[in-house]
Amino acid sequence: MGWRSGAEPLGVPPRHTNHSRQMLTKKGKYGLKALTHLAALPPGDLAFVGEVARANNIPKKFLDAILAELRNAGFVYSRKGKAGGYCLARPPEEIKIGHVVRVLDGPLAPIPCASKTRYQPCDDCEEATCRVRHLMLDVRNAIAEVLDNTSLAEMRDAGGPEKLVEEEPIRA
Amino acid sequence: MSAPNQRHSVAIVGGGATGVLLAAHLLRNEEADIRVTLIEREGSFGRGLAYSAVQRDHKVNVPSRGMSAFADDSEHFLRWLKAHGYAEGNDPWSFVARSTYGTYLADVLREADRARPGRLVVLSEEAIAVRETAAGIETRLANGTSVLSHHAVLAVGHETQPARGRGIAVRVGSARDTPLDPYARVMILGSGLSMVDAWLSLAEANHKGPILVVSRNGLLPQAHRDVPPIEIDAADVPFGTNVQYFMRWFRDLADETEETGGDWRSVVDGLRPFNQRIWQSWSEHSRRQFLLHLRPWWNIHRHRLPPDLHRRMIEAVDQGQATLIAGEFLGIAQHGDMVDATIRRRGARDEETIEVARVYDCGGVSVDVEASSNPLIRDLVATGRGRPDPLHIGLDVTEDNFVIDAAGQPSRRLLVAGPLTRGRFFEIEAIPDIRLQCARLAERLTGGQVAQARRFPSS
Ligand SMILES: Cc1cc2nc3c(=O)[nH]c(=O)nc-3n(C[C@H](O)[C@H](O)[C@H](O)COP(=O)(O)OP(=O)(O)OC[C@H]3O[C@@H](n4cnc5c(N)ncnc54)[C@H](O)[C@@H]3O)c2cc1C
Repeated sequence: MGWRSGAEPLGVPPRHTNHSRQMLTKKGKYGLKALTHLAALPPGDLAFVGEVARANNIPKKFLDAILAELRNAGFVYSRKGKAGGYCLARPPEEIKIGHVVRVLDGPLAPIPCASKTRYQPCDDCEEATCRVRHLMLDVRNAIAEVLDNTSLAEMRDAGGPEKLVEEEPIRA
Repeated sequence: MSAPNQRHSVAIVGGGATGVLLAAHLLRNEEADIRVTLIEREGSFGRGLAYSAVQRDHKVNVPSRGMSAFADDSEHFLRWLKAHGYAEGNDPWSFVARSTYGTYLADVLREADRARPGRLVVLSEEAIAVRETAAGIETRLANGTSVLSHHAVLAVGHETQPARGRGIAVRVGSARDTPLDPYARVMILGSGLSMVDAWLSLAEANHKGPILVVSRNGLLPQAHRDVPPIEIDAADVPFGTNVQYFMRWFRDLADETEETGGDWRSVVDGLRPFNQRIWQSWSEHSRRQFLLHLRPWWNIHRHRLPPDLHRRMIEAVDQGQATLIAGEFLGIAQHGDMVDATIRRRGARDEETIEVARVYDCGGVSVDVEASSNPLIRDLVATGRGRPDPLHIGLDVTEDNFVIDAAGQPSRRLLVAGPLTRGRFFEIEAIPDIRLQCARLAERLTGGQVAQARRFPSS
């Protein structure tokens, strides 16, 4: 009896693969921009894809695909129709940047050979002795540490001139 | 009433595996000026629900190499086995009798006491309430006295009363589990590891009658196999997604592992160090969905049986001695010596009432704390000093294990350790995780204890 024994508990979409060749692809970057856009909406509001695409300079077709992936992973929620559009599925404080990047770009890895589940060997070096790979494995853990400890809310609020005027009310 | 003095003091309620492991970790730090009071109502220490089993066949479900009391000394248990003449000590992949493990834990406690004389006090009493005071926390005992300390840790473990069919259903090995007519038909609710325990007890008692095993999914636990966990880093794990996405990722990884000659168990075991983080990264909705749809499926893959017991269980099913029924348990009624149990099979429209001699409840040991039979937990919840976690599978605690009260305010004195913290940590049922939690708590409670102790007035 294998691990598939028993009922298929939830509808499971087909297998998908993500081969990132780069730390943060365009897809990852656009995805984060779109989420930041949604994180700035007043609670309860939805944004049209076209609107998000225009405001962030993202090709709309590409953004459609990105948002669909983010919806499948449970980060955004969409509603069809006239009053439709996208919004965050969870509060932006709960969404971590590292979690989003893994969904859009695959395992966090500075170079492809430094991933364990999506490991892609280099044809020109020996994995076990490659010092570069060893270092890059440390680097990926450091990357994960930073990205997993940064929330979408924090990224949204980091810098940006319009935020400078929003000060905490001073209490007596 | 004993008053706390300068020396940092910790009272632990519950001397099962968790209480003993925590005491041992607290006393392990030679620099810590600490006093530990361990309170256990059953009179024996280190046994609790799991390791008080007396039957040889009631074995641990984790290989010996994973059962050391100390995560940073993984051979500790194997050395103990060898030193005490157990052949299993020579095989890191052995599965010892749970009673043997209880004896080991009792020794771990004795050793901790011997290494730091005068630091440990054990009390064979029941704790009935805890009250925070200006100077510390008071643990009230059933005999009318109290223990005063700087911190108290609840390690009261599992619910001991049947969750279902209360008053009629019976827990295996409990006082109400009296001898049965060997040819009688019996029903077991639940098909997990506790069901296997119950079935083994019946087998040991030479029970010949039919055994009906009723559970929502009708799934038996899987068998262990000696395979290494896959290598995986946090950077590989998709945290924070919904459950569907996570499951797809998990299945893909298991498929790929099997396609390249590996075993799905390696994936389950490789993920284990991340399970608490995965759980915590999910939304409450996702956690709820997991409990509702995936928990039984997860449990049979995650909490596995020693291979020999698994084989015997499969044989019993094949030979028709045990029958697995996927269905819902609806109700129970006593008539004379017999019990009418009502179930609905999966996919069936109609209910079915089956007459049996006894119903054993082997359902999950996690019970809503609002329905706890433990006087201390009942008092805690009734007075608003504690509350269930959002999913009602344990007590609500902070990331640092402090109890959160009904108003959402964390306590500064009262902590919880062990399975009752499952709402926050989920993967906190078995020794490999409990010992890590105890190590972390001991470090917090002994580190910085000097500074903290000064804040308390001596009396
Ligand atoms: C049947 C079974 C088998 C298991 N097998 C394994 C295994 O093989 N390997 C593994 O790693 N894990 C196993 N587990 C997981 C198990 O959760 C832990 O190993 C362990 O038993 C948890 O111990 P605990 O001390 O937290 O809880 P418990 O075992 O429930 O102990 C709690 C103790 O607190 C005492 N207590 C409760 N309330 C009070 C009170 N008010 N005053 C004083 N004392 C009180 C109780 O008398 C009891 O002794 C098993 C669990 C079960 C149920």
